[in-house]
Amino acid sequence: MIKQLIILFYFLTGVLTPSISIALVIGSDQEEIYIDANFSGEELLVFGAFYSDPSQSRDSKSDILIEVVGPPEDVALRKKDSYFGFWLNSKSVTFRDVPGFYYLSSTSELTDEFLINNQIGLLEKKKSEMIDWSLLTTDWGSIINEKEKEEFYNALIRTKQNDSLYKQVSDEIEIIDGNLFRSYIDIPNTVPVGEYTVNLHLIIDNEVSQEYSYNFMVTRVGIEEAIYSFSKNYPFFYGLISLIIAIIVGWSGAEIFKRFRRI
Amino acid sequence: MSIYLPIAELSVNIFLLLSLGGVVGFLSGMFGLGGGFLMTPLLIFMGIPTNVAVATSANQIVASSISGTLGHWRQGLVDFKMGAVLLIGAFFGSILGIWIFSRLVAIGHIDTVISILYFALLTGIGLSMLIESSKVIRDRIRRKSVKRKIHYHNWAHRLPFKVRFYKSKLYISVIPPIIIGFVIGILSATMGIGGAFILIPAMIYFLGMPTSKVIGTSLFQIIFITALVTILHATTTFAVDAVLAFFLILSSVIGAQVGVLAANKLRGEEIRALLAIIVLGVATKIALDLLVEPDEIFNLSVIRLVF
Repeated sequence: MIKQLIILFYFLTGVLTPSISIALVIGSDQEEIYIDANFSGEELLVFGAFYSDPSQSRDSKSDILIEVVGPPEDVALRKKDSYFGFWLNSKSVTFRDVPGFYYLSSTSELTDEFLINNQIGLLEKKKSEMIDWSLLTTDWGSIINEKEKEEFYNALIRTKQNDSLYKQVSDEIEIIDGNLFRSYIDIPNTVPVGEYTVNLHLIIDNEVSQEYSYNFMVTRVGIEEAIYSFSKNYPFFYGLISLIIAIIVGWSGAEIFKRFRRI
Repeated sequence: MSIYLPIAELSVNIFLLLSLGGVVGFLSGMFGLGGGFLMTPLLIFMGIPTNVAVATSANQIVASSISGTLGHWRQGLVDFKMGAVLLIGAFFGSILGIWIFSRLVAIGHIDTVISILYFALLTGIGLSMLIESSKVIRDRIRRKSVKRKIHYHNWAHRLPFKVRFYKSKLYISVIPPIIIGFVIGILSATMGIGGAFILIPAMIYFLGMPTSKVIGTSLFQIIFITALVTILHATTTFAVDAVLAFFLILSSVIGAQVGVLAANKLRGEEIRALLAIIVLGVATKIALDLLVEPDEIFNLSVIRLVF
């Protein structure tokens, strides 16, 4: 139904504004993702249409790029070193305001040059020699060596990728009938809560032609949210209630079992 | 089926969680131990963050100690006065322990320190159980009975501030029990254990308490020390996961009752030797995690802003 509306919508815009040869219209199946007791990750559906004027030849190459950016967070990255055979944490770096989640997907592979020129991509720089440290707020601690900084930077990306929190792909967008696109984006169960931004770009001949952004929220709901915020806002009473539950369950469990055994 | 743990902030398989609680409960019911020393490392193996594992384990021990204490109390085997003196030390010990714990979290060495402490603790417990049980098995084969000394007189009886503990038939200084309580308090807060396996031998050998009163008294004071540690963790490290604790308590209470039944039917030494091997296995795993070069030498942790 929604899809039909969107198709209708872009035909209208096509008719009313003939000067726009290519339009981008998007939709999404949800504005909020709720984390509850059974939350084991979710698929976010992003879909839409990019309209080309049929009177124009389609020689020009058009691509769709979808970027999902999670809420910023501060992270500590620690490196282990071997001391007398033991692997212990040694150096540590703090990165501030890095996205808690990052997903980049496109209909064809994009060059680093393109990403850098358009300030798209993780931390806006991809190749190590092009890391622009001024874009990152970091507490380097005892690290001054450029090579070591780079090592930490790459480790940041890698560890986030291992947790399925950072991802860059070029084969997850499905094109239907040449004009419609659809993509299911995996939101793993480890995602941080907060506001997420979805950025869509229509790229024609390696140039960003149209952009569209919208936000969605990842929020905790139900009993989990209640427990989480209660534990933060009233830690003493939270501890006390945890204790009371332990006492009641511990006590009654033993009593019930004893009665049960007597029978 | 998985369940989302609100404080640990991850989903775990509910059956895995229940079987973990059940198995640890079973072992604790069978051996009369709290089981915290197995619960915490196994939770960490499951992927639960160290601070959550420690804090939640303390909460779980409250429940398992209560049902244990009730039985001993009904039989008049709890020395409340001794328990209270131990608790004075434990109170200050756990406050110091929480402070150490928070400092270690802040500087990023908590995982390593907890691993090393657990390795030392589990190796100690495992080896002593293995030696003790194999000795008993050997003596049984030789049909020898072991004579035990009932009462010890040592330096603990020569210190000042002597107090009479009627129930334990002791007249000793309060300094040794306060020191023992203090040490147990530190360990409880940093490792999420009740500390019975350290407390019980200490009460027998250092304080000279009668063996019959030792278990009940130690369980009694463990309720309060782990209760205090739970509150301290909830208010300072925010790491007590009530959902995780609930499922662990539920399954461990049932497991413990089954364990008590099983203990009556099986011969103790062989089972103790088996537990010793399990404990040493866990210790070995911890040691390997420290010694083998990890696949990923970097680890990332989100610095949570308290809001």
